Amino acid sequence: MSPLALSGTPLASGEAGVPVVPTAVDGVFSLLWLVVALPALGALVLLVGGRRTDRWGHLLGCAMPIGSFLLALVMFVQLLGRDHEDRQVAQTLWTWLDVGDYTVQMGLLFDPLSALFVLLITGVGSLIHIYSVGYMAHDDRRRRFFGYLNLFVTAMLVLVLADDYLAVFLGWEGVGLASYLLIGFWAHKDSAATAANKAFVVNRVGDLGMSLAVMLMVATFGTSSFVGVSAGMPETSEAVATVLGLLLLLAACGKSAQVPLQSWLLDAMEGPTPVSALIHAATMVTAGVYLVVRSNFVYELAPVAQTAVVIVGLVTLLVGAVIGCAKDDIKKALAGSTMSQIGYMMLAAGIGPAGYAFAIFHLLTHGFFKANMFLGAGSVMHATNDDVDMRHYGALRKAAPITFATFAFGYLAIIGFPGFSGFFSKDHIIEAAFGENWVYGVGALLGAGITAFYMTRVMLMTFFGERRWRPDVHPHESPAVMTTPLVVLAAGSLVGGVLILGDWIVEWLEPVVGPEEHHELFVPAIVLTGLIVLTVLAGVAVAWSRYGPSQTIADTAPTRVSAATRAARADLYGDALNEAVFMRPGQKLTAALVYVDDVLIDGTVNALAALVGGTSGTARRLQTGFVRSYALTMLGGALLAIAATLAVTLS
Amino acid sequence: MILLAEFESPKVEYATISPLLIVVGAAILGVLVEAFVPRAWRYPVQVGVAALGLLIALADTVRVGLALDTLDAGLLARGSLAVENSMVVDGPTVFLWGTLLVMSLISVLLFAERRLEGGLTSFAGQAAALPGTDAEREASTRGIEHTEVFPLLLFAVTGMLLFPASNDLLLMFVALEVLSLPLYLLCGLARRRRLLSQEAAMKYFLLGAFSSAFFLYGVALIYGFAGSFELADIDAAVSASSGANAYLLGGIGLMAVGLLFKVGAAPFHAWTPDVYQGAPTAVTAFMAACTKIAAFGALMRVFYVAFGGASWDWRPLMWVVAILTMVVGSVIAITQTDVKRMLAYSSIAHAGFVLVGFAGVYAGTGDVVGVTSVSSVLFYLAAYGFSTIGAFAIITLVRDAGGETTALSRWAGLGREAPVLAGTFAFFLLAFAGIPLTSGFIGKWAVFAAAWAGGAWPLVVVAVVMSAVAAFFYVRVIVAMFFSDPVDIKPAVAVPSILTTGVITVTALATVALGVVPGPVLDLAQQAGAFVR
Amino acid sequence: MNTEHYLTLSALLFTIGATGVLVRRNAIVVFMSVELMLNATNLAFVSFSRAHGQLDGQVAAFFVMVVAAAEVVVGLAIIVAIFRSRRSASVDDASLLKY
Repeated sequence: MSPLALSGTPLASGEAGVPVVPTAVDGVFSLLWLVVALPALGALVLLVGGRRTDRWGHLLGCAMPIGSFLLALVMFVQLLGRDHEDRQVAQTLWTWLDVGDYTVQMGLLFDPLSALFVLLITGVGSLIHIYSVGYMAHDDRRRRFFGYLNLFVTAMLVLVLADDYLAVFLGWEGVGLASYLLIGFWAHKDSAATAANKAFVVNRVGDLGMSLAVMLMVATFGTSSFVGVSAGMPETSEAVATVLGLLLLLAACGKSAQVPLQSWLLDAMEGPTPVSALIHAATMVTAGVYLVVRSNFVYELAPVAQTAVVIVGLVTLLVGAVIGCAKDDIKKALAGSTMSQIGYMMLAAGIGPAGYAFAIFHLLTHGFFKANMFLGAGSVMHATNDDVDMRHYGALRKAAPITFATFAFGYLAIIGFPGFSGFFSKDHIIEAAFGENWVYGVGALLGAGITAFYMTRVMLMTFFGERRWRPDVHPHESPAVMTTPLVVLAAGSLVGGVLILGDWIVEWLEPVVGPEEHHELFVPAIVLTGLIVLTVLAGVAVAWSRYGPSQTIADTAPTRVSAATRAARADLYGDALNEAVFMRPGQKLTAALVYVDDVLIDGTVNALAALVGGTSGTARRLQTGFVRSYALTMLGGALLAIAATLAVTLS
Repeated sequence: MILLAEFESPKVEYATISPLLIVVGAAILGVLVEAFVPRAWRYPVQVGVAALGLLIALADTVRVGLALDTLDAGLLARGSLAVENSMVVDGPTVFLWGTLLVMSLISVLLFAERRLEGGLTSFAGQAAALPGTDAEREASTRGIEHTEVFPLLLFAVTGMLLFPASNDLLLMFVALEVLSLPLYLLCGLARRRRLLSQEAAMKYFLLGAFSSAFFLYGVALIYGFAGSFELADIDAAVSASSGANAYLLGGIGLMAVGLLFKVGAAPFHAWTPDVYQGAPTAVTAFMAACTKIAAFGALMRVFYVAFGGASWDWRPLMWVVAILTMVVGSVIAITQTDVKRMLAYSSIAHAGFVLVGFAGVYAGTGDVVGVTSVSSVLFYLAAYGFSTIGAFAIITLVRDAGGETTALSRWAGLGREAPVLAGTFAFFLLAFAGIPLTSGFIGKWAVFAAAWAGGAWPLVVVAVVMSAVAAFFYVRVIVAMFFSDPVDIKPAVAVPSILTTGVITVTALATVALGVVPGPVLDLAQQAGAFVR
Repeated sequence: MNTEHYLTLSALLFTIGATGVLVRRNAIVVFMSVELMLNATNLAFVSFSRAHGQLDGQVAAFFVMVVAAAEVVVGLAIIVAIFRSRRSASVDDASLLKY
């Protein structure tokens, strides 16, 4: 149990997380409510207004998050100008619940952590809104789509701005609902409806954790506000802290698609691509990380729960990466990668004060580069008649140069190419992981190598090699309204690393998560960085050797024959052979892990569902329709009732 | 030997129990109307008498509520005994009265809907005429209606008002019968699918009579134990007794059977799906909301006031029943193919959730009164009542040539056919599932919090798991409505009159309001305070 | 005379009534079995009344009789209606509503 002992050290030194002590709002901060209200108003107008708003609905839909973004930016600048200890401001809107000693204020908390999230949500959100104007241009339900998007932004803002766990839960369920509506947006596809259903149900499992956690907080502290819980934590027992931590982790797993509740994310790719970019890459799925970092005052006192967070993160980062290798569907490959990257964030968040800031840092950079790549994928799909199979792409770099260039920025960022944002954020996480425990470090390093492999694969199969387009596909660049957001996000992917200059983000988050603890490494940091770069290069090299321009013939020959299923199958077969020759051990591992994911975890979930369904089918037969058998049940129940009361007393 | 000279006429506090008297008065007036008013006039007069009677009773309840005496400021116990200690009018009573009257007022509007059946109510024209015979056809062409349903409803409401206000077990038994007998009849009066309706009535009647026999035998045993029917006396006897007493324990068990039957808790739930499905939908809505409210009120009064001292004897029983009820309701609902029947199982599951709050037995701590078992259950019942009436009201509108179409497969694609209606139904389902910003969330939250505070955390864990299972079948209906393609013949959505539209609007608004700003009602439930003994 | 004997008889009658509900098919007989259960209760009321030396239990018995009479009215109405439409008073025939 060495990791446990290691992460337990902060407790021994008497550190107990950072209590939340906000000041009341004043000045521009008194407009905080407007940040949430604007998109809420947008959603209301668009969803209630009906067809009357069809003509200008998308413009309103874009204007609202942009307005929120500008407001948030002003507040952010104001916050920058304040002293460290004054950087938490709270605004109380109304009293939601008031029962005796327990009150829940509908209140907002703007502090360094939520400020960054608000900027990410409204910033990236606005770009994705703008992009959707072009992407959804031919959909006659575009207005409704924007209504749902605004609804999502509202709920997400509630989630990160709320100052009470119960209110967080409100946003939590809200984003779930909006995500459900958006995944199923194209409900004419059966798979979309099924996927929406699955997402909803799996998320409910995670929500169990959240509701039980809130219940436990109320029972223990008599309140569920951040202020009350953070103040009360040091007085509670470690057992309560551990249970609380594990419950919150369960919630985080559901929302952030972490093992074992990861299965819904891949299916969720059925939704329109901007949705995948906004909800299933940049914002909603990172809510779990937010929850863990926000609850640092809980985890600091619960070393066991912290270790659980790290393990979940580590397992997910590897599983997600392996899934990314195995998918031919460009969106699913990216979804696997999202899981994996969030695994990194969870890993960092679980490490504790040494990792909180880096978890958020990676979350921000990931928000940029992953949204960038998803939108890029959307642009590619736009060019290829909504084909998602990468085997039908190839050589798109000439047909869609802007998409290619911006996607390349995202690619370089995610594999951690020196100088790009992902390089800094991932480097710090791996470093912190090594500082904590070498097992964590090796896992994270391995993940970086696999990431480089599958992302290079995506890149090569999509933009390089020979054309493998379907006969009726004539790829073209997307309109400016779609490429402009891509350019902005690409710029973000490149320069996002500036946040770490002079340890800015670490200091910025100090009022929320406390000062960073630096662990001494066994080697100088620069050596470790070199090691990471080498691993990444190795991953790229392996991918190049298999999917590089020289390897294309094996890939394309079968596909060009016909569009029929048989060809696709043959293609897969050839690919399997290819893989067996080139990296049999890797193939085995991939197969094994994918098997574990499909059969064991997904299988368990499905088996549970089948079990409940089967029980239901059997149990309903007890309702025979005969009144005399009902009377018999009642008599049995009555005898049982008397027997029970007698047994309790006589025993 | 009692001499005539010694006889004192019982003291009746008319001013305190007047809401009850107003309702029973309106019911008797309804019977007279049936006898003396010409047929053409009966419908408007009956609806007027029923609605007005309930409305006045509601206003009177507010007056009574404001005039309650404070008995114990700490526990917020207010109220007084009435009618020679056989009734008690206290905070919970008044809250339950108010809720019951509002719900039954809404139900009257549903009963009175005439546009859906071409100018006639959805009740049988002539219950005595055989379905499919000339007599029945003649009755419907001549526009004959059973306007007796309105007085029947009022009599049922009388019983419901009396049930949780009884301080005397014998009176409680009478109230139980007064509320049940009219419901048995109402169940069998459907205009369409009469065979199902009559079958439902017979099942409900036989099982109801069976259960009330158990209840009554329980009352007899308790009387044998305590020598009195009054709850306070029984409480005193329970406190004074030492060791196990077979009469007491047997009585508790048998009375629990009768009361749990009424709330629809497993294993006494078997009647619920059949009766809810077979009964006319307006009656189902009325039963699902009001019977549950009245029965839970009585359950809490008997077990908290009379058997409170023996709570460790019956708590394990209630835990088992609560768990069983939630599991049976949620699990069996998953494979239902009929929307109405699915809602019936859902109502069983909800009874289980309320039982969680009940079985927590949490009366607050010392000076500050937080969410108690009583207040959380009261709030839950109000919240659930609104959504459930609204949901059943929507079911009356989805129709084809044979009347209501309740098969889930026929509801596919309803979202495209009638987006507003389907959206509202989806909203009610989300409220049942307990999604935040709906009344269902606050209700669940309150009962779970009370149970947790009362130390029943294992129950809460089961309840949270079961509400996740329950979410599954609600979502299944939503998916069918919005994300599935309609089958061959699409159901038509009938355009109702202002009555049903009003019911749906009011219940939907209440469901939103109780979710977003639950404060006032929660506060009211809080102020209801403890039971007066 | 010991009230225990009367109570035993009452419990016996109650059990016979409950068994009757379970085993008889004719709705009228089922209903009569329920009435037997109610009368068993009356016997218990009266016995307890005697044991406690009060009149309350005897009064209760009267109330129960009245309620039982009301129940008969409603019950017979329902059973007759269902007999007319089905030409059968068997409780097992009416089993369309199930699962």
